[in-house]
Amino acid sequence: MLNDTRTFDATPATAFVQQTCLPNLRESQNKDGGWGFRAGQESRAEPTAWALLALSEFPVADQVDSAISGAVSFFERSQLVDGSWPAVAGVKNGSWVTSLACWALSVSAKNSESLLRGLHWLREDTPGDSGLWWRLMRRLGAGRNVSVQSDSLYGWSWTPGTASWVEPTSYAVIVLRSLPEKTLLSKTTARLKVAEEMLFDRMCQGGGWNCGNPMVYGVAGEPQVGPTVWALLALRKHLSRPEIQKSLDWLKGNSGNFESPASCALSNIALRTLGRQTRDSADFLPVLHDHKDIPWSVPELAWTVLSASPKQKWIHSSSGGKA
Amino acid sequence: MPRTAPSLQPPFSRPDSRVAIRRVADYESDLAAMLYETLQEFALPVRGKTVLLKPNMVGSDPLGMMNTHPALIAASRETFLRLGADKVLIGDGPAMDRDTQAVIESIHLREYAGPLASIFVDLNVDDVVRVALRTRASRLRELYLPKTVNGVDFLVSLPKLKTHHWAGVTLSLKNMFGVVPGSCYGWPKNILHWAGIDRAILDINAAVRPDFAIVDGIIGMEGNGPIQGVLKPCGTVICGDDPVAVDATCARVMGLQPEKVKHIAHAATLLGHMQIEKINQIGESIEQSCTPFAVLKAFEHLRQTSAASPSNVN
Repeated sequence: MLNDTRTFDATPATAFVQQTCLPNLRESQNKDGGWGFRAGQESRAEPTAWALLALSEFPVADQVDSAISGAVSFFERSQLVDGSWPAVAGVKNGSWVTSLACWALSVSAKNSESLLRGLHWLREDTPGDSGLWWRLMRRLGAGRNVSVQSDSLYGWSWTPGTASWVEPTSYAVIVLRSLPEKTLLSKTTARLKVAEEMLFDRMCQGGGWNCGNPMVYGVAGEPQVGPTVWALLALRKHLSRPEIQKSLDWLKGNSGNFESPASCALSNIALRTLGRQTRDSADFLPVLHDHKDIPWSVPELAWTVLSASPKQKWIHSSSGGKA
Repeated sequence: MPRTAPSLQPPFSRPDSRVAIRRVADYESDLAAMLYETLQEFALPVRGKTVLLKPNMVGSDPLGMMNTHPALIAASRETFLRLGADKVLIGDGPAMDRDTQAVIESIHLREYAGPLASIFVDLNVDDVVRVALRTRASRLRELYLPKTVNGVDFLVSLPKLKTHHWAGVTLSLKNMFGVVPGSCYGWPKNILHWAGIDRAILDINAAVRPDFAIVDGIIGMEGNGPIQGVLKPCGTVICGDDPVAVDATCARVMGLQPEKVKHIAHAATLLGHMQIEKINQIGESIEQSCTPFAVLKAFEHLRQTSAASPSNVN
């Protein structure tokens, strides 16, 4: 599915990643092994996960990469008793960042106890809109029912006990689908099918996804890059479905207009992974960086690295975790 | 040093509030001159202080429909600097789009406000501090809020005049949802909706207490706001030292009864004045400025009975 990586290796994007993004990422790692959203900020699970995924694509050769081992230690120390991770230290409940932590550990610390506990939490975590009570209330409140989404479908929420949304559902599907299929329990397989159908149900009319509101009061919602990319990666096993092709058309058709590093890097990731690479938007990223006003965040740096990685282990590797 | 939020006071024990309504033809007008003239009347204690302007930046907005116009953001910044503020920051945490750089590019903020590196704060990913809420209107008991919001001396809510399909209107009080960081609660910040949107607005405002409000009513949004509504030219900027009074005035300008907007009524119990006799009006009168906004059927009951009736939106 990937383009010829030898050709890709030769682009300015790879040099930019090697000379600018990776050093920036390594320098911005905190002493506790984690990363904040920006250099100098307190460590959090989400930016640490993106940084760990990025560094794992370009590890230091022939030696233990202390940045990677430090990040793994950060995750081991910050994990909650129930196996989840909080979005910020001090919060007592886990959240969507558990998917990201599991994703990062599945690439860099396969079979670790932390990963297995995280995956267990993720499989058992259900959103607030999965219960019968919520569905009943929604049905009774039909007069205020403003959207057309199916009430029987659900995925994962941002925070405990709230509704399913496209991004957290996509992250969870990506992680759980990376497990060997034969190790999945039947209830997890069934859950994933419901979540994938939820994603299809929430697709915008013209292709692509926003946070999860394809239609409000009869007005079609506009797709956004981030949710579209994560949903496409989560649903990539359904590549032949027309919804996926329509969404890729939207992403490809608009990719020339993206002006932010996140949109450029993320769209490049999805288009490459799903075989639609045309204009190499990764080559535009060094130009954006040179003209930067606001310093790039850790996720922006990490996504740029991931968009330029020839191996793409972070998407294609299997975690090896036991379901 | 964290901001010292003013105490919570019931209406009978607080002085009257002041709200100014100014007529403005368009975004090409000299907004900075108008604001400077208006804000001088308030004698705001901002000399030597750090001010945070919190505009409403919901998401990418290439058509300029749903976000506070960058011309008013830039003019507000210029005004507070002219009033002697040491530093004037601009910060928001877009609720519907986590790519804040894309939002900034889409509204051309840099072209109006200049280089942003040292003045813009993405509140979605700022370092946070745990804040125990002072009120218990919603199910929320605590929130993690941006350190920048907690650390500035003077907080200005700078929303756009819009209807809202869940809250009725979204003005300076509802605009404070934007200080709740997406990096802790997601995009959208769904926990606030599940906690009860109207009550969560009171809890957040009681915690962060915006000191001043400037509402972009030059072109507002009616109908199915805050994102998918219809542009509504209104030709006003409404500002004041009491966000509750400002929002109540905005509602009246929109042809709506603030007493029936739940979150304004909730906020009026502890945070400011909603009653018209407790609001000293500066500039234009409400009658001169009233431009009835179309509302969704679910919010027909908010209409002033005497207001001209634009067509409803289903």
